[in-house]
Amino acid sequence: MDFGFTPEEEKIRQEVRDFLKKEVTPELIAEVVEYSGGAGPVHGRRIIQKMGARGWLCPTWPKEYGGINSSEMVGFIIRDEMTYAGAPVSLVGATMAGPTILRLGSDELKKEYLPRIARGEIEMALGYTEPQAGSDLAALELRAEDMAEARAAARGEVEAEDKGDYFLLNGQKMFNTHAHFADYHWLGARTDPTTPKRHRGISLMVVDLKSPGITIRNMTTIAGWKTNEVFYDNVKVPKKNLVGEKNRGFYYIMTALDFERMFPVGSFRRIFDELIEYTKETKRDGKSLSQDPVIRQKLAEMAIELELSSLLYYQLAYILDKGEVPNYQSSMQKMFATETAHRLADIATQIIGPSGQLQTGSKWAPLHGEAELHYRWGFIETVYAGTSEIMRNIIALRGLGLPSG
Amino acid sequence: MNFGLSEQQEMLKKMARDFLTTECPKSLVKQMVSDERGYPLELWDKMADLGWMGLAFPEKYGGTGGSFLDLAVLLEEMGRACLPGPFFSTVVLAGMPILEMSNETQKQEFLPQITQGKLIVTLALTEPGGGYNVDKVTAKAVFDGNDYVISGTKFFVPYAHVADYIICVAKTTNGVTLFLVDTKSPGIRYTLLKTIDGDKQFDVVFNKVKVPKKNILGKEGQGNIQLREVLRKAAVAKCIEMVGGAQQALEMTVDYVKDRKQFGVPVGAFQAIQHHCANMLTDIDTSRFISYKAAWKISEKLPYAIEAAMAKAWVSDAYKRVTKLGHQSIGGVSLMEDHDMPLYSKRAKAAELALGDADFHREVLAQELRL
Repeated sequence: MDFGFTPEEEKIRQEVRDFLKKEVTPELIAEVVEYSGGAGPVHGRRIIQKMGARGWLCPTWPKEYGGINSSEMVGFIIRDEMTYAGAPVSLVGATMAGPTILRLGSDELKKEYLPRIARGEIEMALGYTEPQAGSDLAALELRAEDMAEARAAARGEVEAEDKGDYFLLNGQKMFNTHAHFADYHWLGARTDPTTPKRHRGISLMVVDLKSPGITIRNMTTIAGWKTNEVFYDNVKVPKKNLVGEKNRGFYYIMTALDFERMFPVGSFRRIFDELIEYTKETKRDGKSLSQDPVIRQKLAEMAIELELSSLLYYQLAYILDKGEVPNYQSSMQKMFATETAHRLADIATQIIGPSGQLQTGSKWAPLHGEAELHYRWGFIETVYAGTSEIMRNIIALRGLGLPSG
Repeated sequence: MNFGLSEQQEMLKKMARDFLTTECPKSLVKQMVSDERGYPLELWDKMADLGWMGLAFPEKYGGTGGSFLDLAVLLEEMGRACLPGPFFSTVVLAGMPILEMSNETQKQEFLPQITQGKLIVTLALTEPGGGYNVDKVTAKAVFDGNDYVISGTKFFVPYAHVADYIICVAKTTNGVTLFLVDTKSPGIRYTLLKTIDGDKQFDVVFNKVKVPKKNILGKEGQGNIQLREVLRKAAVAKCIEMVGGAQQALEMTVDYVKDRKQFGVPVGAFQAIQHHCANMLTDIDTSRFISYKAAWKISEKLPYAIEAAMAKAWVSDAYKRVTKLGHQSIGGVSLMEDHDMPLYSKRAKAAELALGDADFHREVLAQELRL
């Protein structure tokens, strides 16, 4: 066992920290909040391009695609530092779509998308959820009709002629965060509506969000930032944009989630550090808040839960660096860290008192209104990317081998 | 980072698991609750033959020079097996402080015997009405020109009835001091306490017990500072034991809910039970990481006060939660005294209250965080 970091890891952590100290501005932080933790159009794109130039955006990737061939541990350290500093870290291209393209994509796809993702030039939006397909993703219906097959069928042929052909997409997506400022949609679509095994008729593809026929409609979340409904009306997607094999998309998405479901808690360590300072500086009835025994208990408990979230987080890097796929552990980390984060925001508002509900920019708002903001945000984090209940199902089924109901 | 055990540690773990499964079955654990000694001598001797008492002591004192992390591997298996006996008190509560605080003469006198399993030692710290605040000790040690004379009452002294020596914490005119007291000295009286898990814990009255000056352990008057270190390390060791117990409670639960059918299906197919089990595993994984992180820091001689407080605060609550959910998931049969689950739910409570509970350690942590 070794719960420490190597000198090389400490060195890169320090370099990233120093870089972020210089580059993260209040304007960037505000934009990150407005764009749901993603890289917004002005400041966000600028900083991720600077990070990309250093190979820090997708550090584990090979050099030819813009990485620095680093360990997963280094990648996890960089993301941890990014969240602590308030930099954008919800990066679909770099941390979700990109790694799947790297594993499963054709050479053409890799060359077309990976270097641009790693340089921070393009961003993607997840396109999984639909109105009737939330936790039950296999229920998705957005139809991707294989036009080669359709025409072949019309001609009475069995085999489709594939060359130069495209999918025709129709349907609706929902809660697709980043879609209104991303360049591409990382889309799960139904390519086989006839199969009785719903999981087997879904494909994964990259769609240019500027394609004719796509309409994006904003929805405002409880945390104030926007997510979207995305409507597809006869949208043509070249077949070369298919990721991996046709009709295997559901399995790719599920495996990808094992790799990518993780939740760095840097931003919450920062809020915690600020909260500690606040309790030391703020006096009530002549005594610092930090001297109140109840507050001390609550802060100590949060320090513990943050440490545990962090240990669960770095355990994922350890598993990945061993060449294994985290199984139940990524679900556990996501569940534990997001529930911890929500509790921290809740406790922070309680310690602050009546002003705990004041929003950023309001008179008297302490901690720049972060406690209030993250209290609202916490509702979302414990639901999106898999609810805490789904995480517990996964832990029970895969971690403990309990029978599925 | 490396969250895994070394190959050697894995071997030690497997050996300990196999040995305890055979030599310390649950039937024996239950039987020992009503046994006067509380553990079989043959079991103690076999453990000594395996070198367990000397595992984390240097070779020159008859040990095998293992690390605290190696000891942790063993302690986890002991917690899993609910091993009864004076291992924890002799090795962790007494042996470790003797190794770290005693002079060479004392080391030569005590350690070779401890590492061979020939000497049983325990610690008398807490007093009725007191807890683990080492500054609040009221037992007195008065120097009469030749010896120190100790008077006072201690409780929760584990396995005092079989101990050859008791490390007694008492105050001299110079402050809190640790004494190695020969239990054959006149004036020592034991009373067995009826504890929740039937562990052998004693009330020990010291009535003008004479202790030679050479038996002072460490520096006179600085026992409070030294004790904090002893207790911190013991808390980490206790957490590791608790992780082993919690793991066994979970496995017992999972085995049962996969098998037990109600409404025509295994109860483990119900989400309510699945979520109980998921919560148990989460409590165990997190308990394991923080406890082993503290143990690793001890092995590496790094500061570990923060991790120790975090571990005992977290695991005290987590082990209890695990056993509660275990009972809830298994249901009625687990509430019977002959079931194995009560062994763990009772030990979870006893372990929570030993060496400071969650509230105590959260306050320690608050101090460590300079709140």
